[in-house]
Amino acid sequence: MRCKDVRDRIDELWTGEVPAETRAHLEKCSACQEYARDVGLVRAGFHALAEEPVPEASLGFAARLVRQLGEAAEQGTREEFLVHVGRRFVYVASLLTLGLLLALVLPSSGPVRGPASADLFLAQPETVSVQSDSIVGGGWQENQDLLPVDLNGQNGKGRQ
Amino acid sequence: MASSEPKVAQEVEWIGRAQRGDRDAFGLLVERHQRRVFSVVYHLVRRRDEVEDLAQEIFFKAFRSIPSYNFQASFATWLSRIAVNHCYDYLRQQRSSRLSYYWEMSEESVRNLEAQAERPPAGGLTDEEQIALRDFVSKLLDRAPTHERVILALKELEGYSVEEVADILKLKPNTVKVRLHRARKRMLEDIKLWRQGR
Repeated sequence: MRCKDVRDRIDELWTGEVPAETRAHLEKCSACQEYARDVGLVRAGFHALAEEPVPEASLGFAARLVRQLGEAAEQGTREEFLVHVGRRFVYVASLLTLGLLLALVLPSSGPVRGPASADLFLAQPETVSVQSDSIVGGGWQENQDLLPVDLNGQNGKGRQ
Repeated sequence: MASSEPKVAQEVEWIGRAQRGDRDAFGLLVERHQRRVFSVVYHLVRRRDEVEDLAQEIFFKAFRSIPSYNFQASFATWLSRIAVNHCYDYLRQQRSSRLSYYWEMSEESVRNLEAQAERPPAGGLTDEEQIALRDFVSKLLDRAPTHERVILALKELEGYSVEEVADILKLKPNTVKVRLHRARKRMLEDIKLWRQGR
């Protein structure tokens, strides 16, 4: 029997059921004797640990636990309610945001932006340039109808 | 046997009520099993100041899981399983932040230990020797990988049989035997390292 075999049979040393073959090797091998002593030490250490008194539950542990379970259940219900309300708030806020985005993206005509778009259209620069062109380009006579009545009269006198 | 039958029937009734959300019935189960849970937690974690908090968390988990308890294992085994899993998670979290070294032992403990090594502990141990041995094996357990620590604590400290350990850990008995063998061997190798380092 080799030393390695003795170490592989640690469970036998641990339980104290050492076969004759192992015992014969132990008698003549000091290294394995030391190993067997260590096994004994660890076993004794475990035994000492197992005998150590285990801490006991403090007075009223079970009653306190039951009360805390009740509190946790109540808190759970409250949180569930808040989550429910919060979820609805998020839905409404999302809908409002979506509506606002749609209003910005929609074309300038249509039911949402109809009247306001007409004013904007008049203020566009193309309209102004058409009027000025007609004045500068000598279309004075054609634009006579656009002038106020008294001014029209003065013009007529000058020519005569 | 005759006295245990009404006890079992009573426990089945409490479990049924707790499964329907009856917290008072669960409280009765807590009172009956708290000693076992405290013992498992203490032997696995070995920190007196943490035991009650951990036990409380375990019973909270048990109350949440009790509707799924199907009576296949005994209630005590089912509860021990929850306790072991909870402690296992705790130990894994702790391991990253807290390392233990056996060379942190006091000189007196080491002297006592060496005296023990010279003289096999066949006879009775003195108080000092007991303390030194407890200290030493505690350090060895702290240094062991979590899964080995759990299996050693259940077998050597809680005194469960291989079959009971297998039932709690949901393993085959042969797997438990193999893991126990490896854990013991590794522990002895650790002692060798300690001797070499001194």
